[in-house]
Amino acid sequence: MGTMLVFLLSGTLLAATPLLLAAMGELIVERSGILNLSIEGMMALGAVVGFATIMATGSHWLALGAGGLAGVALSVLFAGVVLLALGNQVATGIAVGILGLGLSGLIGKPYEGMTVAPMKRMPIPVLSEIPIIGPGLFNHSLLVYLAPLLAVGLWWMLRSTRVGLVIRAVGESPESAHAIGYSVLMTRFLAIMTGGFMAGLAGAFIATVSATLWSDGMIAGRGWIVVALVVFATWRVDRLVIGAYLFGLATIAELLVQGAGIRVPSQLLTSIPYIATIVAISILSMDGRKMRLNAPASLGRTYNSTA
Amino acid sequence: MPMKRRLTSWIAAACLALPLTGTAAKAEDPFMVGFIYPTPVADVGWAKQLDLGREAIEEAYGDRVTTRVVENIPEGPDAGRVMNQLVADGADFVMLGSFGYMNDGLRLAQRSPDVDFIHASGFRQAENFGTFTARGYEGFYLTGLAAGMVTESNTIGIVAAFAIPEVIAEVNAVTLAARKENPDVNIRIVWVNTWFDPAREQEAARALISQGADVIFSLHQDTPSVVNVAQSEGVYVVNTGSDMSAHGPDAVLGSVVTDWTDYFVEAVGASLEGTFTGHDERGGLASGMVSVAAWNDVLTEEQMARINEVEAALISGEAHVFAGPLNDQRGTERVAEGEVLPDPEIFGMDWLVEGLTGSLPQ
Amino acid sequence: MMRLPWIVEPRIGRTGPRALLAPLIAVATTILAAVVLMSSQGVAPSRAIWQLYIAPLSSLYNLSEVLLKMAPLLIIAQALAIGFRAKVWNIGAEGQLLLGAIGGSLLPLWFNDSVNPMMLPAMALCGMLFGIGWAALAAFLRTRFNANEILVTLMLNSIALQLLYYLVSGPLRDPYGFNFPQSALFPQVAMLPSLFGMGRANVSIIVALLATVAAWIFVERSMTGYKLQVGGVAPDAARYAGFREKRAVWLSLCIGGAAAGLAGVFEVAGPLGQLQRVVSPGYGFAAIIVAFLGGLNAIGILFAAFFMAVIYVGGDMAQASAGVPYAVNTSLQGVLLVSYIAARLFVDYRVRWRRDITQQGAN
Repeated sequence: MGTMLVFLLSGTLLAATPLLLAAMGELIVERSGILNLSIEGMMALGAVVGFATIMATGSHWLALGAGGLAGVALSVLFAGVVLLALGNQVATGIAVGILGLGLSGLIGKPYEGMTVAPMKRMPIPVLSEIPIIGPGLFNHSLLVYLAPLLAVGLWWMLRSTRVGLVIRAVGESPESAHAIGYSVLMTRFLAIMTGGFMAGLAGAFIATVSATLWSDGMIAGRGWIVVALVVFATWRVDRLVIGAYLFGLATIAELLVQGAGIRVPSQLLTSIPYIATIVAISILSMDGRKMRLNAPASLGRTYNSTA
Repeated sequence: MPMKRRLTSWIAAACLALPLTGTAAKAEDPFMVGFIYPTPVADVGWAKQLDLGREAIEEAYGDRVTTRVVENIPEGPDAGRVMNQLVADGADFVMLGSFGYMNDGLRLAQRSPDVDFIHASGFRQAENFGTFTARGYEGFYLTGLAAGMVTESNTIGIVAAFAIPEVIAEVNAVTLAARKENPDVNIRIVWVNTWFDPAREQEAARALISQGADVIFSLHQDTPSVVNVAQSEGVYVVNTGSDMSAHGPDAVLGSVVTDWTDYFVEAVGASLEGTFTGHDERGGLASGMVSVAAWNDVLTEEQMARINEVEAALISGEAHVFAGPLNDQRGTERVAEGEVLPDPEIFGMDWLVEGLTGSLPQ
Repeated sequence: MMRLPWIVEPRIGRTGPRALLAPLIAVATTILAAVVLMSSQGVAPSRAIWQLYIAPLSSLYNLSEVLLKMAPLLIIAQALAIGFRAKVWNIGAEGQLLLGAIGGSLLPLWFNDSVNPMMLPAMALCGMLFGIGWAALAAFLRTRFNANEILVTLMLNSIALQLLYYLVSGPLRDPYGFNFPQSALFPQVAMLPSLFGMGRANVSIIVALLATVAAWIFVERSMTGYKLQVGGVAPDAARYAGFREKRAVWLSLCIGGAAAGLAGVFEVAGPLGQLQRVVSPGYGFAAIIVAFLGGLNAIGILFAAFFMAVIYVGGDMAQASAGVPYAVNTSLQGVLLVSYIAARLFVDYRVRWRRDITQQGAN
């Protein structure tokens, strides 16, 4: 029972971390008014570039960084088309996502099915000594602890800093933001690049920290879950954190339940996050005022920043 | 009708007049062998084992054959086009490496009577369309014995892909063997319902380990995902397909390896001679199509002797994995005392044996 | 504050022949990318271009494969474009297609020994209804609860896939299929008749062409089509024109659902002949690309669907004949659409250097 609880906690953290990382990036992007549907492709590219880096250097940190940069590279393309060429965000997102998936398959060819050593864990002194909770929550690699801390930082940044204010203003109404003198173009470009970095980082995390292997298609739809999470959270950081860990918990709990010999319709369980997201969007959109408080009003709308 | 035919032949002529570098004249070319895999060829896994068979063909027939590989072809509406292209390019023999290629493959075989096909894990044959399946369950029976010997927690975990008969038979074989060796053994199973999601497979393995499993069976995972987890968590693992001990030197208790080389070489030879007939080829320990590699050193000499003894009995036919009396989970008798489960029922298995915790996924 | 050295202004009125610029740039970029990517895989550029763009048209069989591939893309893209023009973003065609495949499979599976010639039309109707039903969920949530249809249709895609997995490994599984996750084979009456008596192309391409004509008439000649377009561009103007936004949402999504559902039926009744785990190699998403590549214009989409089908088939052939990984083809699809969208800038907008404008002002 004890080891099962430990795994329930540690497995949840490990499964949720990449989702949370990528979703935080996407949240920033969407808060600035841009819908980026290419997360799956950015994660895949980040995963393969991260894996290639670790094969060449043996360093997990370099791998994570390189994965993030790969996401940035793809996001620059996305930003260029959406912001400068005023392309439709939905179509551009899908196109860039496909490109990322294709490139990841090409780059990853020589690494198919290879494995790397896991990242060193950093047990937190004292806390990791607590029974069950210690090994469950406080014996992980650094990034697992960093993710929720980053979330706190993001929450504070969006809420209380000038940068956060600008991002929100731009997402709310680029016209007004422009009129006050904020650079819509610059803000959105940087937001998209940040989102790209986080998605690439998340992909590299899956390939080099949690799975420690590369295989074409290994992101397996997690990029779409990320998009769902941001909406589920109605663009709020606190709910995003809860959503990511709940989702991680659900995937792990399903496996434990199966292992215990209890019959479960696994397809229904897999669908739950999506159903929950639809319900969440519906309930929260129903009350127009409530929705307006959170949803970036200009989300998905093309804005001409040269005018 | 004549009008239509004239139009068709006109179009055909026009197409032929194009500079076709793509089409090949069949007459003088060497015998061409085409291989289609559902996944990319990695250094281990399903496609790798099939590819070793292809290399054996090249080695055996040298200049008389050329081989061509098409990898990563998902089962679905596009697979038919790819195999058709192979035949159009002049393939004389085609190996279809996934169950899902069955219907398109059969249709193509009907249209191309001069081309011989072999198809993995299928159940329909034709004059020029054979099928092949490994009796993997025999290998899993041996490793199941070993698992029963080494487990200290008396808990064995199974990460299984899909509940198809081949996999169900293997799950049952593991259970029967482990409980024969150690009646107290408890077997847990997680169906991941994917051929392919390494991260999820690993989560499943960790879930089983957390529930006390100290031997994990990785049934039909194509990557060393589960082996990797076992190595880092310090438990034993038995995997499918290739020898994966390089990915888990301490963890691999044994790898159930499938070796297609003899069968492929023989089938291509028959096709070269014009004597190929589509039949259902099933090989196990006896034919060498299935074997267990990389036995872990933890197994003592006595234990290995016991395993070898069972292996010899299975090979000689003296023993059978699914010999009666055999009950299913509900306690219903499936095989009577003194009988063995006939082949069609093994390869259509849809029930779990008594003593298994867990169920077939709905 | 950062200012770009150029400004872009929307062009007013019809774009005319200039609209051809974007597809041409996109195709040129894609060919260039094909040469680069194929060379990186050790394939000579001339061979690469041959394999991808000419070989698919070089024989009747290949041409029939192109038409087979083109049909679902064309049907779905025409319907999506109608919605996209009205600014209703249905990106759930993939899920609606799967539902259509499921709905279309029920009849031939329940009446597996049927010889009734009405089987196919009944399947088509059933599939369309299932597709509409799935899309209607999004329409309902949008009109009743104001839930964003992009996100809802996106989620519905994932749910539809799980529903399909459940059905093929449970209730609709072939009882004599050795537990493999797929349904029984359809009876002959449930299969689409083939077109040339050879190859796999079937009547679905004819239906797709008819749908193209219908889409063109609907958009260019009908009042509803006109209102839908106006409504999309500016809700205020549409209300002025007597057209409610809600109706635009319902209409757009239902048209999309029906078309995608029909395409789903054509897949199971065409090349597949049964319901299985893999029904669509992403047609629902590819159709979004096609709709945009065609400039959301019925005629443009016809060409776009053809071109996409050619590179799909070319990619498969290049893989079989030249060992080019499929990832090359996936990448090229991305390049094609990205470069097209980028090039649209010069079609939809006028781009001028700020310096020039200031000089003009000084004069």
